[in-house]
Amino acid sequence: MSGLRNRMNRLRGETASNDALIAEAEDHSFVDEESDRLSPVWETFGVKLYSNVEGSFLLRKTVYPVSFRHGHHAIMELRKAASGLSAFHPSFQASAEKVLFLDLETTGLGIGAGNIPFMIGLGYVLDEQFVIEQTLIRHPAEERAMLAYLAEKLQHYNYLATYNGKTFDWPLVQNRFIMNGLGRKIWEPHHLDFLHPARSIWRNTLASCKLSRVEEERLGIHREDDVPGSMAPQLYFQYLADGNPSTLEGVYRHNETDMLSLACLAIRFGHLLNGDIHQYIRLPDEPEEMVRTGLWLEKMGRTELSELLFDSAMRAETAKPSTLLMLAARDKKAGNWMRAVLLWQKAVIHSFSNVGADALEASIELAMYYEHKLKDYESALSHANFAFEHAFNHFKLARLDSKKRAELESLRNRIARLKRKQDKLLL
Amino acid sequence: MNRFTGKTSGLEEWLQHVRQNAEIMDNVTHWRTIAPREARTAPLPDGLHHAWKEALRSRGISELYTHQAAAYRAAREGNHVVAVTPTASGKTLCYNLPVMQSLLENEEGRALYLFPTKALAQDQVAELQALADLMDVGLKTHTYDGDTPPTVRSAIRNAGHIVVTNPDMLHSAILPHHTKWVKLFENIKYIVIDEVHAYRGVFGSHVANVIRRLKRICRFYGSTPQFICASATIDNPKEHAERLIGEKVTLVDNNGAPMGEKHFVFYNPPIVNKQLGIRRSSVLETRKLAGLLLKQGIQTIVFARSRVRVELLLTYLQELIRDKLNNKSIRGYRGGYLPKLRREIERGLRSGEIRGVVSTNALELGIDIGQLQACVLNGYPGTIASTWQQSGRAGRRQEGSVTFMVASSNPLDQYMIQNPDFFFNRPPERALIHPDNLLVLIDHVKCAAYELPFDAGEQFGSESLEDMMEFLVEEKVLHKAGSRWFWMAQSFPAHNISLRTAAQENFVIIDNTNGSRVLGEVDRFSAPTLIHEEAIYIHEGVQYQVEKLDYSEKKAYVREVSVDYYTDANLAVELKVLYVDKERVSGDLIRQYGELAINAKPTIFKKIKLRTHENIGSGPIHLPEEELHTSGYWFSFSEEAAARKSKNEMQYALLGIANVLVHIAPLYLMCDPFDIRVVPQVKAVHTQKPTIYFYDRYPGGIGLSERLFEVHDDLIRQAKSLIRSCTCLSGCPACVGPIEEVGLLGKKQALELLNEAEGLG
Repeated sequence: MSGLRNRMNRLRGETASNDALIAEAEDHSFVDEESDRLSPVWETFGVKLYSNVEGSFLLRKTVYPVSFRHGHHAIMELRKAASGLSAFHPSFQASAEKVLFLDLETTGLGIGAGNIPFMIGLGYVLDEQFVIEQTLIRHPAEERAMLAYLAEKLQHYNYLATYNGKTFDWPLVQNRFIMNGLGRKIWEPHHLDFLHPARSIWRNTLASCKLSRVEEERLGIHREDDVPGSMAPQLYFQYLADGNPSTLEGVYRHNETDMLSLACLAIRFGHLLNGDIHQYIRLPDEPEEMVRTGLWLEKMGRTELSELLFDSAMRAETAKPSTLLMLAARDKKAGNWMRAVLLWQKAVIHSFSNVGADALEASIELAMYYEHKLKDYESALSHANFAFEHAFNHFKLARLDSKKRAELESLRNRIARLKRKQDKLLL
Repeated sequence: MNRFTGKTSGLEEWLQHVRQNAEIMDNVTHWRTIAPREARTAPLPDGLHHAWKEALRSRGISELYTHQAAAYRAAREGNHVVAVTPTASGKTLCYNLPVMQSLLENEEGRALYLFPTKALAQDQVAELQALADLMDVGLKTHTYDGDTPPTVRSAIRNAGHIVVTNPDMLHSAILPHHTKWVKLFENIKYIVIDEVHAYRGVFGSHVANVIRRLKRICRFYGSTPQFICASATIDNPKEHAERLIGEKVTLVDNNGAPMGEKHFVFYNPPIVNKQLGIRRSSVLETRKLAGLLLKQGIQTIVFARSRVRVELLLTYLQELIRDKLNNKSIRGYRGGYLPKLRREIERGLRSGEIRGVVSTNALELGIDIGQLQACVLNGYPGTIASTWQQSGRAGRRQEGSVTFMVASSNPLDQYMIQNPDFFFNRPPERALIHPDNLLVLIDHVKCAAYELPFDAGEQFGSESLEDMMEFLVEEKVLHKAGSRWFWMAQSFPAHNISLRTAAQENFVIIDNTNGSRVLGEVDRFSAPTLIHEEAIYIHEGVQYQVEKLDYSEKKAYVREVSVDYYTDANLAVELKVLYVDKERVSGDLIRQYGELAINAKPTIFKKIKLRTHENIGSGPIHLPEEELHTSGYWFSFSEEAAARKSKNEMQYALLGIANVLVHIAPLYLMCDPFDIRVVPQVKAVHTQKPTIYFYDRYPGGIGLSERLFEVHDDLIRQAKSLIRSCTCLSGCPACVGPIEEVGLLGKKQALELLNEAEGLG
């Protein structure tokens, strides 16, 4: 054996040997010699051995009573909120009992064939309780038994609630079913992937849309001594080397909190979609978030719920020009010209002292509106002239690229055309 | 000939004129006429699907060439096949026939095609899809490579009947995500590998391992596909294909394609300085010959060995014919041109709109450019196999064609040009791969473990699986559970492993004299001694000084200077023999093959005055030492031989021999001259005798010096004959090296010593 290592070292031009590291790896004092007898350490955090026809793995079950609160929300709000989630798949009626929450801890990144989920976190409502199950494989050979358990579980649910599960967790689970010869199409989930609404709503308002950020800023959840998810693979490798259950305690805790946060996100989005915005969640502080929330509700087919948010954003004094433009674009599309014009005017006024790209865009929109809708060429011309002046000053500072040049050119054309139209009228 | 325009009525008539033109014929060392060959055909096989038959008929194919029929038969009998065919002999039908037939019989079936480059893959898909469309049966053919848009990838994975890709993509995108390709792997019937001769050396060794992984994945999905390979003419197609795919293959080499009469002309530029053995530039002579052809309106392809030469010749030729043809009718073609431009040039060549093209060996591979009439090779392409491939670009079925090979002053070129029999009578080179090179193997074992856990008792390459597994467990990338080993690391191994090694990357030389322009390239191994900082780099007779060498970015910045010295760097090479694996003793000569450790570090450079050759200064070179563990072969001379010469004489003699050997070694190998190194030592540490070492320039070796160990006697004989037949007086760059390097008696010393080097069997 060391023959091969020596040869490799020579070929790589290495001389130092890794003997020290190897010696360390061989300390297996905690390893469970027989797979049906567990080290008592596991018991201290509620982990039990589970066996089925495919073999065995470890299972930890945690039950949350009806009264349990996690941050802003009580876990049992799920029952009420769940119906709102129907908006994700309008032809089905969602209910809390049909939703399975899932979050994987894996050995690597991406969804290649060599990335193994060593822990599967599952969450579901059972009677008046919220149950979290966490499977763990003590070594990769236990994966098949764990997956068989999951496959059986899936049959009882229609919805899979995840954070990025559409592109990561679920395709990875499918990989593993194939790799373990458990079939190709075991279950077809209706995805409730909360990363997508989170991105739609908080793209600009939060520093990132990572779950830990979202839960802290919007769900009132504060983790203490959390092991970051990115550490999980390393800790699992360490556990494989030393066999010490306590190594994984932090990973269990992290995954458990992720599952609870996932449930709270379901609650939050469910309430939103149900129109229970004042009752259960605060109106967003930032106008941008109001508008984005409204836009998302519209996208989800809840147009009637967005007006309230749009209206609040419209009235907010702190709205940034970019937010006003975003809403105006929506109004223009929806034919609500009254408010669109108001918003564009606000966008110009709000940035009076510091005319930027947003104000320019707003003036151009106004020029278009006056020209085409009202045929008021004089007002149109004054907006166009305003835009041109500022565009010219604005672009002077930067180097003109082809896009900016085209923009200026089209403004010039617009002004010329408006002048012609105006002259024609005067004749 | 038309007296006013100087134009002849065709190639035949023009060749008659050339034969009477003393100015040209004086430099022609050999003119071989290869008789035309009639087509040998066989009827379309029985049982061919009627739609397929119709499609072939509509393409004007109502019978097959013998090799196509044989390949079809062999494949249908369930054999793995390698078909050896020269350029333009209807090679693609050898594999398309059985593959299409099988897909027509079972539309659930799938096939995977591998081509060494993206351009070839795209070419092939166009052809295949056109055939499939003719049949109107909904067969789908797709390329899957780095250019495939993400939006269509999933459709290709599920619905493509034939997926056309390259080994790199298979390695880094398809195999590690095999679960997304279930449809393909469960139903795969054929794997087609075209241009197998291109998979040699390190690249080939990697590809052989990618194929091991591919077979492993197919097994997992319960399929055992058949391989159909196609190769250019090489010495060992069967052996090579068998090593590459790890299966027994049936060889098909009864080429039945017709060929017109072919003239092969060896042209050696005239000597302009006999003492120094300097000949007129091969570039200028190439320009002359290609110019004559183009002026006759003969469609011509010119091959040059480097990108820089391609551009140079292109400029020359465009100038030459400026008033006769428009500039667009003569084009360049090389790697680095954008795909769109390449397609345009290929089309122009097929339609005849483009009359001339200057290309690197990029056009040697099977890209469809139709058949041209004449070919001019600027320099010996490096291998017999490439020479035939390139020459095959000229040659239509009905008309005659001509190939001129213009030799450069490099010893290998000079050897070839003076020994036409060697070229015409010898089989082409052997393609060598060494899939069990430990470094390469371990890389792919990692990738394979990522793709599927290893089971005890599995086999992957010649190393013991248990040993490799245990090693990777210690490296903390695998974990053993029960009797299986699982990938257990966060990394994605294929990302860090490139099939085409970095060693092939060149240093770019950038001239900052006026703005900045790329002057040329230097290979990685020569960089430390040629373009270290302060070196004088000579390019087309102009001196440049290196101002900065960016070693990690592989760039050297130079500025034009005018000085009266050149620089010469000392490279301290330390060479240790680690193991002796094979040994042969005959008489006084001992030759051995084994493992070597080489440490090379440039130390100082000297400034040497032009003409007087005085040493007028020196400076240090600060570059990292490179260490290489590889396989090598060496032979040493007896102590008596050593005693007959002074140390100085011995030094010159060994250096002279080394200079010759390094150039003629590629005669026996299909490799780049830079893949193999020769180092002479007057008193070697290992043998205590005068010794010449050869080694592979890749860690672990790729089988080159092992082959040289086998052909030692031949090699020495060829070296002797090269030195003897060289017309110089006492050594020149075309044989033992210039007298500045090997002394005034270098040639004689080298010959004397070589007489002792031949073993007695």
